[in-house]
Amino acid sequence: MESTGSVVSVSCFLLQGAMTPGIPIFSPMMPYGTGLTPQPVQSTNSLSILEEQQRQQQQQQAAQQSTSQQATQGTSGQTPQLFHSQTLTTAPLPGTTPLYPSPMTPMTPITPATPASESSGIVPQLQNIVSTVNLGCKLDLKTIALRARNAEYNPKRFAAVIMRIREPRTTALIFSSGKMVCTGAKSEEQSRLAARKYARVVQKLGFPAKFLDFKIQNMVGSCDVKFPIRLEGLVLTHQQFSSYEPELFPGLIYRMIKPRIVLLIFVSGKVVLTGAKVRAEIYEAFENIYPILKGFRKTT
Amino acid sequence: SLRDTVPRGDCETVCPNTPCFSEVAYSQSTGQKEQLSRCLQRGIRRVQDLCKVLQLPTVFEETAVSYVQRALQHPSFHLVSLEKKELLGGCCVFVTCRQHNWPLTMGTICSLLYAKQELFASVYLSLQKELELSVPALSLADLVKTHLNSFRLFQHAADIPAPFVENKEKVVARTMQIVELASETWLVTGRHPVPIVTAAAFLSWQSLQPATRLACTLARFCKLARVDLPPPAHLRLKELLEILLRMASQLAWLRVFNLDKKTVVKHIGDLLQHRIFLLKSAFCPEDEEEQQCAAAPGEASPGSAAGAVQGGGCPSAGKRRPLLPPCLVNPRKRLRTAAPSASDSAVTGEEPISDGEIEQYLRGPEEIRAFRKAQACAAAPSTLPTPCLATCCI
Repeated sequence: MESTGSVVSVSCFLLQGAMTPGIPIFSPMMPYGTGLTPQPVQSTNSLSILEEQQRQQQQQQAAQQSTSQQATQGTSGQTPQLFHSQTLTTAPLPGTTPLYPSPMTPMTPITPATPASESSGIVPQLQNIVSTVNLGCKLDLKTIALRARNAEYNPKRFAAVIMRIREPRTTALIFSSGKMVCTGAKSEEQSRLAARKYARVVQKLGFPAKFLDFKIQNMVGSCDVKFPIRLEGLVLTHQQFSSYEPELFPGLIYRMIKPRIVLLIFVSGKVVLTGAKVRAEIYEAFENIYPILKGFRKTT
Repeated sequence: SLRDTVPRGDCETVCPNTPCFSEVAYSQSTGQKEQLSRCLQRGIRRVQDLCKVLQLPTVFEETAVSYVQRALQHPSFHLVSLEKKELLGGCCVFVTCRQHNWPLTMGTICSLLYAKQELFASVYLSLQKELELSVPALSLADLVKTHLNSFRLFQHAADIPAPFVENKEKVVARTMQIVELASETWLVTGRHPVPIVTAAAFLSWQSLQPATRLACTLARFCKLARVDLPPPAHLRLKELLEILLRMASQLAWLRVFNLDKKTVVKHIGDLLQHRIFLLKSAFCPEDEEEQQCAAAPGEASPGSAAGAVQGGGCPSAGKRRPLLPPCLVNPRKRLRTAAPSASDSAVTGEEPISDGEIEQYLRGPEEIRAFRKAQACAAAPSTLPTPCLATCCI
């Protein structure tokens, strides 16, 4: 049969005659090429005092719930290693310690890059947080299921108690080893609060529950770019990152390397982002993908 | 030696009648496969069988076998269930076909392997991820050709009415054009490919001799052609007809006919011929709101807005809708979770938790007793006297 070169010609055949001329088949990775050269990234070892202050501020901001704030300004998504500096809309609360020390991602130099391409103006909304915690003691699941109203336990089906609370609206899987998984929260703080409530329930049921090694394991966000996307085109130009199998699933699975996030991109323009350990990864991943998606927008 | 002169694999035993010798395959007796693990052997065997059945070029077999070897050496595949390992050979053949633009669908390979599609899908996705394979999207144009090969309407047969038999090349050519039209109008992205081809083939066949074929339904067409009718094909057909009707509304000499979804089929040839122009006139760019859509060039019909009909009738000449995927044209009403409120945002995770809040989730002692009784009743209803059931079971 034909060589792989014909893949392009056949797809051109299908895309030809489309309403808008020239859907770029082999558009460059950054269709809105700004000439921005990737910033050299400084390691945290050589931070000056000023940078250290800025870093701490950013950590506190990352720990804060500030979903109401608008687009992350400053650095664009073109250089994935950049840590987005969020505009300060509220002063950091006195006495709050950063609960989730940001990972030691390499920081940019102080002078922010001039944003040659504007940021998307769209902020992904967090939809689900999965966290784990160790209650630090063995648990008798039968007792828990008997004494708690909000517990479900079918040992034949699954070896854990399924417990739910109303506020924050979440579900927990509680194992006899004392380990617990908490799902359904809409923010890191809510996940932590919910996990603490489950731990308190277990305590009140008579177990010496502690709250050890609380960790956010996964964060899921979603948003809408508000225009339809030619997934067949995207899989052609970004083959090494994309998997588009309409026989299996209507969306395109995009595995971004930096940050390590999986995006589900749909023809409607809706995007789901998952695999993040901190919310900055979700925002960063979206800012990276947005110019790529815009490149597939029809230009009549 | 025997090894050099005898073709491998085909040599059976030497003395079938002598009791002291037993039948042994050449490959076994020579230990040809000794070094390969059993999984790998089975995987290679599966690849060879599939390549034979599908009549694939030799180079496909070599590539697929190399993928099987790489996969089984990969740590993430060591611990995969045997059930999944069974499918590995098929997955590698599937990937190879796609990389060579050979239009093999997942449905086909799953039926050849007697595999559940979900299981095949998970093995395929793992394979793609772990070996970092880039797999080009299925080429619809090639799929049209191979899928139509299995249709039975291109030769006369006893159970097919004579007017239903059609020239294969004509059907293939027109189906390709209709599939291309579907692709341009967002009917293909994110959807199963085969139902689109089936619907397009039906329309193309109908339109080549509408007089005798308009009365034939999609279901009957598939039955006569001896192909499966995939459930989404009806929806794809409906969507295609809507597009065609809108296009027809832009052709001056067709507007007088007041076409509907049956009669528009007669004019598919014309519509396809002028499709570029018609698409431009019938649809406005996707970012324009429907209200802002200008009337079609040269046609001023301000009063015709009332004439626009949902399906069935011909849409009014002046009104254009944006060219969007169906999911955006008819958005399903979905409960959108509200954006987090200010109070949600203020949560720190370290708030104090009141006893009262936790106690609402705990059963009181009487409740526990009642629950225990109910559990016992449910577990062994026959051993307890009936009055007990009345008191303890709520």
